[in-house]
Amino acid sequence: MQEVDFGFFVSLFGHTLSYWWLIIPAIFLGLIVGAIPGFSAANTIIILLPLTLAMGEELGLIFMVALYCSSRMGAGIPAILVNIPGTAGAAATPLDGYPMTKQGKGPQALAISFISSTVGGLLTTIVVLFVMPLIVQVVYYLHSVEMIVVMLFGISLIATIAARDTLKGLIAGFFGLMIGAIGADHVYATPRGTLGFLELYDGVPLIPALVGLFAITEAFLIIEGQSILTDKGKVLLRDARWAETFEGARAALKRWWHIVWTSMIGLVIGVVPGAGAAIASFVAYQQSRTFSKTPELYGTGHIEGLIAPESANNGVTSGTLVPLLVIGIPGGATAAIMLVVMQYHGTTVGPDLFIQQPLMAYGVFSAMAVTYLLMILTVFPLARYMSRVTMVSTIYIAPLIISFTLVGSFVPRAYIFDMYLALGFGVIGYVARRTGYHVAAILIGVILGPLLETYFLRALKMSQGDIMVIFSSKIGNVLWVCLALSLAIPYLKDLHRKRAAMRDALHRGEAAGKSGTEE
Amino acid sequence: MPAEPPSEERQKTPVGADLLIPGAAIAFTLYYFSTIIDSPWTAQVSAFFVGTILLALCLILLVGIARRVARGEANLRFDPLITPAAVVPKRLALFGLTLGYIFFIDWLGFTTTTFLFLMVGMMLLSGWQRNNKRLIVILSAVLSIGGYLLFVVAFERRFPEGPFEDLFKAILSSLTGA
Repeated sequence: MQEVDFGFFVSLFGHTLSYWWLIIPAIFLGLIVGAIPGFSAANTIIILLPLTLAMGEELGLIFMVALYCSSRMGAGIPAILVNIPGTAGAAATPLDGYPMTKQGKGPQALAISFISSTVGGLLTTIVVLFVMPLIVQVVYYLHSVEMIVVMLFGISLIATIAARDTLKGLIAGFFGLMIGAIGADHVYATPRGTLGFLELYDGVPLIPALVGLFAITEAFLIIEGQSILTDKGKVLLRDARWAETFEGARAALKRWWHIVWTSMIGLVIGVVPGAGAAIASFVAYQQSRTFSKTPELYGTGHIEGLIAPESANNGVTSGTLVPLLVIGIPGGATAAIMLVVMQYHGTTVGPDLFIQQPLMAYGVFSAMAVTYLLMILTVFPLARYMSRVTMVSTIYIAPLIISFTLVGSFVPRAYIFDMYLALGFGVIGYVARRTGYHVAAILIGVILGPLLETYFLRALKMSQGDIMVIFSSKIGNVLWVCLALSLAIPYLKDLHRKRAAMRDALHRGEAAGKSGTEE
Repeated sequence: MPAEPPSEERQKTPVGADLLIPGAAIAFTLYYFSTIIDSPWTAQVSAFFVGTILLALCLILLVGIARRVARGEANLRFDPLITPAAVVPKRLALFGLTLGYIFFIDWLGFTTTTFLFLMVGMMLLSGWQRNNKRLIVILSAVLSIGGYLLFVVAFERRFPEGPFEDLFKAILSSLTGA
C-alpha cells in the first residue's frame, strides 16, 4: 500500500505534469467551447466521450479535468465582453466585468478574470489535496444506513439549492431514482419497469441518459437564436484589444487576499452537492460587496466585483469532486459525467479508492493543479483571440451537438437502441428545462437509484427486514435531522417573507387610511 | 401556430406544461409497481420506498396547481413548451431529422448519415438561405470525415458502419496489403 505523504504528492505532481501534451490541447479546447454560450463543460465532455472512453481511465480523467477547469474559465470571456455568460457559473461575472468592457477596459477585465480564475482554482485544489486524507477518514464512519440518508440528503440539497422550486427539484430527483431502479432485481433477476425492452434488463445505461438530459436538450434550446451575439456585441468583440492586459493582471495580483477568501467560499460551496458554481459566484459577489469599503462601486465595473465571482466559480471545480470521490455522490453535472466514465472503466469511488488507488484518487486533483498552472502560462497571452469563438452561430453548433453526442451514446454497448434512449431522455430534459424541473437532479437520481437499492437491501438484511433500521444509527439520525431542516428552512423562510409582506401591506393600508381621515 | 390567448388569460401563469413531468412520473411509478407486485420483497422494498415518496410529492404539486387554477391565478396552457412560436416548426423538423438520423445510421453508417444530417440540419436552421450553402456542405463533409478519422480510425471506437466505412476499409487494406 502506498503511503500518502508530502513525497507522494510531489511525485504525483511530477507524474501528472508529464501529461502536458494532453493537458494543453484540452485547455485550449475547453477554453474555446467554454466561451460559447450554452456549450458547457458538461456538454463538451459528453461530445468527446468516445475519445475519452478510448483513452483509458487515467488519460481520460486527466483530459476531462483539464477540459472542466478551462471551460469554467472560458465561460467568463463572453460574460465580460458581450454580457452573455458562457455557463450559469459565470452569471455573476458580467455584473462588473461587462461595465469594464463598456468603459473600454475589456482587456484588463479579461486579464483580471484569468488571474482570479487560475490562482483561485490552483489554491483551492492544493487545499483539497492536503485535506482529503482527513475527509476520507471521516467517511469510514458511514455505513449502509448512513449512506441511504446521505443519498437522499444529496438529492434534497440539489432540490433546495440548485432548483428554483424545491418541490419540482425533489420530484425531478425522485423521478430519476425511479428511472434508476429500472432493470432486473439483484436477487431473483425479475425484470422491473423495463417496458418490455431487453436492452434495459441491466438497468438504464448512464451515457445515453446524460447525453439526452444535457446535450440533446441544450441543442434543442439554443436554436431559438440564430446567433449567440447581438450586432452590438459583435462590434465590441472585434474592437477588443489586449494592450492593457498586463495592467489588469497587476490589478488582480495586488488584490491577492480577495482572490484567496472568495475562492475558499467557492470551495466550501462546491463541496455541497447541487450548490455549484452559479450559487458560489453570487454568494462570493455578495460577500465581497458586504465586506467592501466601497460597496457603492459594485456594478459599475469594480475590480473586486469581478475577482469575487471568477475566483469563486473556479474554487468550485475542486470542491465539487470531493463528494464524488469520497462517497460516490456527484456534486453536479460534470462530476456526474466523470462518475459515469469511472464506472465505465470499472472503478468504484468511495474512501477505499484513496487507499487502494491513491494515484487515481489524488491524481484527479493533481491534474487540476497542473491544469491551472499550465493555464497561466498558455492562456494568458492568447486571451484576446480566444474571445472570437463567441461569434460561432448556433446553426452550426446544434446539429453538431446532436450527431456527435448521439453516436457517443452508441459507443459503450453498440446498441442503436441507446441512441433512441438518449433522444427519449432529450425529450424529458427539454420538458424539464422548460418547466423548471432540474435535469441534474434527474441524472443524479438515475445514477444513485441502483446504489440506493443496494444500500437499502444491505441495511434490511442486517436488520432482518426491519424498515426502522434506517433510524437506528446516531450519525444517520443527525443526517435525517439535517435533511428535514434543509427541506423545512426554505419553506419557513418563504412563509416568513410572505407574512412580512402581508404585515407591510396592512401597515401601509392603515397609514393611508389615517392620512385620508386627517385630510 | 398556437392561437393568441385573450388578454385576461395572458396574465395567468401557464402551468399545463408543469404537469407533464409529474404526470410521467406518476404513470411510470404505477407501471413500475405493477411489474413488482408479485416479486419477492427484496425486489420491491427500495422501489416502494422511493415510489411512494414520489407519488406523494406529485400529489402535493398537483393540489397546489389545482388551487392556483381554481383561484384564477393560473391556466392549463402549455406556453413554455411552444414558445417562441416561430421556432416550433424548426424544432419539430430537427426532432424528425434526428429520428431519421438514428433510423438510417444503422444502414448508411456514421460518416454518410452524419454528413447528411449535418448538412440538412444546418440548412434547416439557417432557413435554407443560399449564401451559406457551400460553407455548410464543406463543414458537414469535414466534420463527418474528421469524426470518422478521429474516433474510428485513430481511436478504434465502435461506430455504426455502412458503405463509406466499408469502402474506406477496402482502400486502406489494399494500400497496406493487409
